[in-house]
Amino acid sequence: MEELCQPPLEAKSEVTNKLLDLQWKMGMAVSSDNCRSLKSPYVALMLKVADQSGQITNKSFEMTIPQFQHFFKQFKEMAAVIETV
Amino acid sequence: MLLELSEEHREHLGFLPKVDHAVVAEFCRIAVEFLRKGANPKVYEGAARVLNVSSNTVQHGVEGLTYLLTESSKLMISELDFQDSVLVLGFSEDLNKLLLQLYLDNRKEIRTILSELAPVLPSYHNLEWRLDVQLASRCLRQQIKPAMTIKLHLSRDGEHSSQVLQTDPPTLLHLIQQLEQALGEMKTNHCRRIVRNIK
Repeated sequence: MEELCQPPLEAKSEVTNKLLDLQWKMGMAVSSDNCRSLKSPYVALMLKVADQSGQITNKSFEMTIPQFQHFFKQFKEMAAVIETV
Repeated sequence: MLLELSEEHREHLGFLPKVDHAVVAEFCRIAVEFLRKGANPKVYEGAARVLNVSSNTVQHGVEGLTYLLTESSKLMISELDFQDSVLVLGFSEDLNKLLLQLYLDNRKEIRTILSELAPVLPSYHNLEWRLDVQLASRCLRQQIKPAMTIKLHLSRDGEHSSQVLQTDPPTLLHLIQQLEQALGEMKTNHCRRIVRNIK
C-alpha cells in the first residue's frame, strides 16, 4: 500500500502497468453449446494497458451482473476515499 | 541409394570387428536404448571394463552404430544398398551379415522413434460457443447486435491452451461455408484417388 501513496505521475513510480483506456459493453447470452436457451446478461470490459516499456496490450474479461455490481462498488469506494484526500 | 560414411564415422565403427558378434549385438541393443532414452555413461564404463578398452572407444563404437542404423532407417535403404554401403568398411562377411540383420530387425522401431521427432502443431481439442446479443456499449446505447463468442481448446504434446474469439453472424456464415467447401474437397476424384493409394 505504501507504493500507492506516491503521486502516480512521478518518474520513479513503482506501478509498472498504466491503465490507458477502459471500454465496456453489455450484452445478453441467449444460447450456447451446452444450453440452448439462456437469458444471461453480462458486462465485458476491455482495458488498454501500457507496461513500463510502453508496449500496449488489451486485456478483456467479462462479469455477471452481481460480479459487476461488486466491481462497481469498489470504484465507488475509491471515489469516496479520493474525495477525502 | 548408398550411405556416405565420413572418415570419423568409419574410424568409430572400426572398433566393431575387434569384438565378438555377441558384443556387436549388445552394442546394437545399447544403441536402440540410447535412441529411446538418451545416453547412459555407466553402461559404456561397464562395457569398457569388460572389454579392456577405454570408455571413449565403446562410446564411439555405439554412437557410430547408432548413426549407421538411424541414417539407414531414416532413408529406408534397401537390403542391397545397406550391404553395399557397409562393404566400404572392409568388415568380414559374417559381421556384414550381422549388421544387415540388426538393421532389418530394428528398422521399424527406429522409424517409430524418429517419427516422434517431427515438429508438432497444436491440434484441435474442443470448441465451446455462445451466442450473445450486445445491448449497450460505452459509445452506443439501445443496441441489438448479435455476436458469436467461441472458445477454441487446443492441445500440443499434452499441454492445453485456449483461445477466445468473437465474430459476427455474416463472418460466421462465411466461415461455415468455407469449411463445408473444404470438406467437399474430400469427395472429389483427386482426393479419393490419393486416399485410396495411401492405404
